[in-house]
Amino acid sequence: MKNWIMNLFGRGSPGSMSCRQVGAVLQDYLDGQIDSERAQRIEEHLEECRRCGMEAETYERIKATLAAQRTELPAESVERLRDFGKRLAAGDDPSAP
Amino acid sequence: MNDTSFERYVMPEIEVLLRVANSLTRNYAEAEDLVQDTLLRAYRGIDGFDGRHPRAWLLTILRNTHINRNRRRRPELLRDPDVANDRVVSAASPDRADSGIDNEIDSEIVDALGTLSEQFRQVVELIDIDGLSYNEAAEVLDVPVGTVMSRLHRARSRIRDRLARVGFDPRRSL
Repeated sequence: MKNWIMNLFGRGSPGSMSCRQVGAVLQDYLDGQIDSERAQRIEEHLEECRRCGMEAETYERIKATLAAQRTELPAESVERLRDFGKRLAAGDDPSAP
Repeated sequence: MNDTSFERYVMPEIEVLLRVANSLTRNYAEAEDLVQDTLLRAYRGIDGFDGRHPRAWLLTILRNTHINRNRRRRPELLRDPDVANDRVVSAASPDRADSGIDNEIDSEIVDALGTLSEQFRQVVELIDIDGLSYNEAAEVLDVPVGTVMSRLHRARSRIRDRLARVGFDPRRSL
């Protein structure tokens, strides 16, 4: 109970972050948009704070599920576009007079 | 005309362009047409391109081409809010949701994505599904990077809130 309260208000070890501070940058952290020094402090908080750890795991699950929705592109579309690009690169502008 | 530059800067980005075009149009046939127009414009503009950030340059061309095509071909979409709303509703069950859903949490997350407004859904699709960076998504949507981040975070928060509302605890399957 004591650790939970200290985490909430950021009164743990020197330089530790509060739940509120971590919550404000959690998605940036999960997207790799945080500098390494601050990322380290966030990781320490997530290891100690069950509530914020759960929050991070939830967002990681959402991101993983969304990433899994990425589908294969239709191969024939890609092939047609590559052929079109090759013709352009060869100087064959199809709309040129 | 610098044909080597076209091969070097443009050809490697065709798949990314098609993926993003599909997120914008939600239709692969239309997406292919859009990318073809984009390639043509890139070919004509390659001499003015400085060689830096080719993907961002191409995404800007793609976005402008998309806007011009909509203006030219479907002006009713830009004027009629009912038509625009229908488009959002029809986006609630995207084709990509048909594959790879192997449990209820995944289904709930994908369903939640479909219920987001187009503004929020697009940014999630571009970044979390298509794999664009914040900056690249900002190019496509023609908004500041801060706006992209704000929309993305709010969109994910809404998905998380929906999971909580229906009683799912994603930790159980992690």
